[in-house]
Amino acid sequence: MKKVKVELKLNGKQFKTEVEARTLLVDLVRELADQTATHIGCDTSNCGACTVLLDGRPVKSCTVLAAQAGGRDVKTLEGLSEDPLMKKLKDQFLDKHGLQCGFCTSGMLISSYSLLRKKQKPDELEIRESLSGNICRCTGYGGIVDAIKSVQPGIEKERVAPAPEIQRN
Amino acid sequence: MSDIVDIINGKGRFIDDISFPDMVHIAFVRSNYSRAKILHVNGGYLAKDFPYFMASAGEGATDEEMSLRAPVLASTYAAYLGEPIAVVTGKNRYEAEDNLEGVEVDYDPLNPILDPEEAINSDPVIPGVRSNVISDRFVGRPFSITDADLVLEDRLENRRVATNPIETRGVVAAYDGSKLTVWTPTQSAHSVRDGICESMNLPKESVRVIQTDTGGAFGLKGGVYPEYIVASTLAMKLKRPVKWIETRREHLMASRPGRGVVGRMKIYAMKTGLIRGISGDIIVDAGAYGGASWSSGWIAYQVTGPYAIKEAYFHARSVMTNKVDQGPYRGAGRPEASFLMERMIDLLCDETGIDALDLRLLNSAKDRFKSPTGMEIEPSAGFISRAFEKMGYRQLARTDRPGISAFVLIPAVADGESCRIRVKNGRISVWLGGVTHGQRHDLWVKSLLSEKLGIDPSIVTLELGDTDMLREGVGTWGSRSAIVGANALLKVAAKIMESVRKKTGSYSGKNLLAGDYDEYEYANEKGSLISFGANLALADSDDLGNVKIRTMKAYYDVGKALAPQVVISQIRGGAVQGAGQVLSENLEYDRDGQLMAATLSDSGVLNSVQAPDIEAFYEENPSRFPHGAKGLGESPTIGVPTALVRAIERSAGIRIRKTPVTPENIVSAKLGKTE
Repeated sequence: MKKVKVELKLNGKQFKTEVEARTLLVDLVRELADQTATHIGCDTSNCGACTVLLDGRPVKSCTVLAAQAGGRDVKTLEGLSEDPLMKKLKDQFLDKHGLQCGFCTSGMLISSYSLLRKKQKPDELEIRESLSGNICRCTGYGGIVDAIKSVQPGIEKERVAPAPEIQRN
Repeated sequence: MSDIVDIINGKGRFIDDISFPDMVHIAFVRSNYSRAKILHVNGGYLAKDFPYFMASAGEGATDEEMSLRAPVLASTYAAYLGEPIAVVTGKNRYEAEDNLEGVEVDYDPLNPILDPEEAINSDPVIPGVRSNVISDRFVGRPFSITDADLVLEDRLENRRVATNPIETRGVVAAYDGSKLTVWTPTQSAHSVRDGICESMNLPKESVRVIQTDTGGAFGLKGGVYPEYIVASTLAMKLKRPVKWIETRREHLMASRPGRGVVGRMKIYAMKTGLIRGISGDIIVDAGAYGGASWSSGWIAYQVTGPYAIKEAYFHARSVMTNKVDQGPYRGAGRPEASFLMERMIDLLCDETGIDALDLRLLNSAKDRFKSPTGMEIEPSAGFISRAFEKMGYRQLARTDRPGISAFVLIPAVADGESCRIRVKNGRISVWLGGVTHGQRHDLWVKSLLSEKLGIDPSIVTLELGDTDMLREGVGTWGSRSAIVGANALLKVAAKIMESVRKKTGSYSGKNLLAGDYDEYEYANEKGSLISFGANLALADSDDLGNVKIRTMKAYYDVGKALAPQVVISQIRGGAVQGAGQVLSENLEYDRDGQLMAATLSDSGVLNSVQAPDIEAFYEENPSRFPHGAKGLGESPTIGVPTALVRAIERSAGIRIRKTPVTPENIVSAKLGKTE
């Protein structure tokens, strides 16, 4: 199997590896970089549990080749642990019971985060439409929608500026 | 389950997060046909490497259960699409899947028997059995009513539904030369252990099952599966840890789905709306090895629900078909029973012109009532009145077309539950046989212990299931854990308090935390416990058969809400599963036995745009248990489908006999075509 070198920025840190060309981004993230917040629920880009940010945009990492992420910026839930907006979202998910088993939650949080970066106060339909690629089997989505609605917009700058880079060691 | 804060931070340890450096990954060659002779297999590990039969373990498993002893791998005959035939290994998932190519299977395909009604009299779906009817019982009491004003008959059906947790099944097995350790997401570590031990003939002490964080289960993860036996056997043989993670397509083909029942029902009634009797022929699609064959009798037992119907008699059969075994899915027989009853009540409403609530109140139990099947219920009339007053039925019925339902929830309290509490270094650890996997058992464990023991709830940890840390245990299913789990918890807490008193002279939280204590109890439970629930729905449908749900409401008697926010969260989640069963969830096969669903969406799981929300109310009539709780988890999957089907039926002006109610079904019914 042909191997390819991949170098990307993962959660703010340069990450270099060599993978089989067919390796999916989700497997690079989970198996090679041991960032296991990102989950696999279906392998068919249906459930959204594997959603990560690729150059700031949400993608399903089970349908992106690791090689395609070369030279680009990948963020998983781990890389957003200090992000103020993500912190608020997590607080609201906990408060509004936006999770039960928690398996879809990382993907849900990444998709919700992307939505709130684009629009501070989305209405219910906008929220539901933006989450339609993330399947939750436990909550019925109600608690998730409530959580997103409850996030209070912060200072304008905090929202439009890119998330701060966190150096991991 | 990891702490909820760890879970939300992505630090949960789910099964695919368990990894060892020298781990072997396995993948399965599965039957491409629903029914075929296997002429020849070459490559991989085969049936002869796993000379065992699958034990029956987990929810509903009893010694009397009549299911066939399924092989671990098929050798000469494939009885369902997706049945495992061979196993290959690889250093990672990619390599294991590549190695599937190295296995050759020659099949002689046969005509699959997919329809349970047809299977009653057809040739056997697997060789060696005389009849496909694996469970055949008469439930209730024979009766003859010759003077009924109305005798109404109908054929009703719930198609099969995949359980579809977002985390599929999976297992990691490791062997150190004397002990086999198995990690798996589960509703019951003890059922998995007992299933492995019974299947492989191993002593219980030699197997340890550890629950990983469990990404949803809904009935799926209560027992043991062939893949777990394969992983365990190979771990012992190869002396290396073995991992298997199910793909979604495998899940849809080869994981036990729920529902799958046909009822040919008949009610005898008077013009006044009084139901004199109900009878029926209840046929469950049990699958190739007759899984969960108890479910047909269990459905029949509870058909009469909250109503005082004096005569009831059912022929209940579970029938084998060339499909994967049926298993429990959230509700597990309860929603099917309620569907059969409530659909007939609505038919009677249409025939007599009597209001849906009036008719239900007329037939409700005014006193304690024992049904002809032996089901004992408390008076239901008061509950039904309160429920529909709270949900505003009368006002809505004046101007709109609400569908309503009333039902019983019989939680699976039988056999009780176990608990261990350990106090050490000022911290308290709790193990329950009924493990948590998203239901937040930790909340009631903490609040009950804090109240009982007079300690700060933050020092309490609810541990994951682990058979080495808790001797015996049952599991989480059938709305049971808050009832029997909490009961066991309080009993063990009382034991601990007694030990503290003996040791220190008097009990106080301070005395408790100053010492080390470790107590266990298996709190058995013989009685039953039944609560009531009711639902309301409003829906519209257009000429193309598209349905729009406008309103859903629920009103349930929860006994005592041990964690009120969790009650609401459970209702909202269960309601969407109930609505999914009505709108789209289905595992349909074509005539050749090929499955029509390959993805989550194909199998009909609702997304956030399609999913309705529900307005949830509950009342608290404490149960006989010290904590007062009754069942809850399954209520929305019982009450939502029946109310919603009626709302769609009224909006479209058709009679609905089957779930799911697809746009095609609605349009066909409107055009007067029979299905």
